[in-house]
Amino acid sequence: MFLPESMSRIVIVGANSCIDETIEALYDLENIHLIDHTVDADEGFTLGTPRPYSPKTAERLLKVRGMEKDLGINKHTKTQPISESEIRSQITSDSVETIQSEVQVVMDKRNDLNQRITDLNAKKKSLELLARLPIDLDMYSGYKSIVGIVGRVEKDPTQALAGMGEVFVSLNKKEGNIVAVFVKNDDRQKAQTILSEHGFNEIQVPEGTGPVKDALAAIDNELEAANKDMEVVQKEIDDLFEKHKATLRAYDEELAVEAEKGTLPIRIATSEYTFVIDAWVPENEAQKAKETIEAKVSGVYVEIEETRSRKQHESDEAEDRFKTAPTKMRHGKITKLFEYPTKMMSIPKYNEVDPTVLIAIFLPLFFGFMVGDVGYAIPFIILGAYGLKFAKNPDWRAIATVLFFGGIWAFIFGFFFFGEALGMHFIGEYKEGAVTYTWAGLLHLDNLHNFFGQFLMNTHGVGKIEAEYVGLLLRLSVYIGILHLGIGYILAIYNKTVQHGFLHGFLEKGGQFLIFIGVVLVGFALGFMLIMEGKLDEPLIFFGIDISVFWHFTNETLLAVLGAGAGFIVVGSIILAKAEGAMQILVELPDTFGIILSYTRLVAIGMSKAGMALAFNYIALGMFAGISPDPSIAGNNGIIMIILALLVFAVLQLMIWTLAILSGGLHALRLQLVEFMIRFYEGDGIEFNPLKFKHVKTISDIKVKEA
Amino acid sequence: MASAELGFIAIGAGIAVGLAGIGTGMAQKDIGAAAVGAITEDPKMLGKALMFMVLPETIVIFGLVIAILACFVLPGMA
Repeated sequence: MFLPESMSRIVIVGANSCIDETIEALYDLENIHLIDHTVDADEGFTLGTPRPYSPKTAERLLKVRGMEKDLGINKHTKTQPISESEIRSQITSDSVETIQSEVQVVMDKRNDLNQRITDLNAKKKSLELLARLPIDLDMYSGYKSIVGIVGRVEKDPTQALAGMGEVFVSLNKKEGNIVAVFVKNDDRQKAQTILSEHGFNEIQVPEGTGPVKDALAAIDNELEAANKDMEVVQKEIDDLFEKHKATLRAYDEELAVEAEKGTLPIRIATSEYTFVIDAWVPENEAQKAKETIEAKVSGVYVEIEETRSRKQHESDEAEDRFKTAPTKMRHGKITKLFEYPTKMMSIPKYNEVDPTVLIAIFLPLFFGFMVGDVGYAIPFIILGAYGLKFAKNPDWRAIATVLFFGGIWAFIFGFFFFGEALGMHFIGEYKEGAVTYTWAGLLHLDNLHNFFGQFLMNTHGVGKIEAEYVGLLLRLSVYIGILHLGIGYILAIYNKTVQHGFLHGFLEKGGQFLIFIGVVLVGFALGFMLIMEGKLDEPLIFFGIDISVFWHFTNETLLAVLGAGAGFIVVGSIILAKAEGAMQILVELPDTFGIILSYTRLVAIGMSKAGMALAFNYIALGMFAGISPDPSIAGNNGIIMIILALLVFAVLQLMIWTLAILSGGLHALRLQLVEFMIRFYEGDGIEFNPLKFKHVKTISDIKVKEA
Repeated sequence: MASAELGFIAIGAGIAVGLAGIGTGMAQKDIGAAAVGAITEDPKMLGKALMFMVLPETIVIFGLVIAILACFVLPGMA
């Protein structure tokens, strides 16, 4: 029922001449999980080589990706998909090369311009510095017996160079100091030594004549012209982007597909004239796959080798590469959303139960129980629905899933069981330490009493931090835990039964189950005998009926239960000792007790949030707004304090709400992954990964035909 | 019930939660350090790391349950 899909192994044999058609056919089927050939597994066969068209495809793909990068096309660029056959015919008529030459011309232009602008800017910078010295450009060089040294300095070198020659300095802290020194040729070395002591850094004087200011103006003109040219080129690039974005995206996708198809032969076995492909196909599609491939490709034969049963020995006896059948999980639209937590642990094995469905039931339920408040539930539902509609990232989708479905449960629990919104009961008489603020009291809505009074337990619903209900809630959480764990233990036996038969399964996993039942019975009997003296303390009025009478036990009954529990523990221990050694009993007994108690977190976390909400409501409503929890006492604070109170209320409630996501979500998940799944889950399967492509920017030919 | 007895119950509850909290903290300290390291290497580990982080919280929940029982159930029994 919960097992992954049954798999058949097929062998496809054919002549090398029809390998391309076969690969096409396999991809069209979209349900063929290829088994990689291992070297030397079959005599006379070796790994294949890439198809002859492969290098050309790879080269084109590289070109296309290069152009996409140049033009700024990426996966977020919105384009219309193009039909596959159209794209193929374009590629074969060398349109990639045509587009590339077109793009290359513009790109070369852009690169040249970029280089020119960089050069001009560098020149402009030097000229700006030189403009501060009263020297024309042509006077810096062209002398026979003297030499000009120009550059930046950190300190003024005039004094040190005094007497050596002419020194021009312009000091400016912000833009830097510039110095031009003219010395005799013989003094050059000396002058440079002195200058370097002053932090000298030479600059090249640009060629030219006349005043620096004129040269600067000329450069500015050139820069302006270059920038204008750049705008033109940028426009051309934009045009190319618009013109080719759809085709380039489609080429990218199509060529990637072809590249993968072209290298597929290196995963299969080939001889000089033939090829052999081993693959897994879902059992119920195997016959159809055989017929389709044989009909599409003449000269190819498909044999259904085996249908793998769930028995472990069958997998163990198989050849290494055929040992593990892939796991194809069977899920509907909603349970598929919960595959994420399962995969977080591991992929289920082919012959074990896929726990996703159970997680889909219990994860939101636990989350909802822990939150259990209408006021927090509604934002969860809205946020979750929004995330499920718009989020693409699998992490966010997983979180949105839990928020949405968990929110619905939180609403149900909050409305019908706890009767709470934002940590306040809807209705109830004021009672010190139990019922404080109520919505009916705050908003003066007496009608609420008539409505909620019909179904809420004991006139105001179950209070999370009310002394009377703590016992009930703790028991309830333990009962939920027992149910959850019971399913886990039964699944453990079921898994082993599927793999090895019932007797083996029971002897291996039955011991734990019996000990679990024993611990539950003993705990139940002891709890009622020692703590509750045979009955529940509080009446539970639910729809007008006191259901607490069902929890009334005589001492004899409890003793019998205790005895039965002890019996289960003894029998379970014997089976466990046989399966895993006597030491395991010492581990198992306290562990069983511990994991059952671990479910009390369902209440503990709810209580901690309810406690915070109680305190925060007192702070906001009592301290700031001056509203007494007892509605018969009128409030006495002004409007400003009420606004302030609402602000404080909002901030504090938001804090609880955020904590609810973290603690509620994580602990609900942890109960699944740790307490529940460890009972039976082994995982370590291989995910069913068929040969297929997701068409995003291209339209599959098959789809076109179907339409 | 005498207020002294109530006081002792409160102290007991406080010790139960406090010591269990210290135990959880000691366990989470090491896991947290390792988790941060793992997430730095590979941000995809965040989900798994968070899972491991909350593992020792069972200990403090046991403490909390004992405290709850002490606060709510013990006074009723006496």
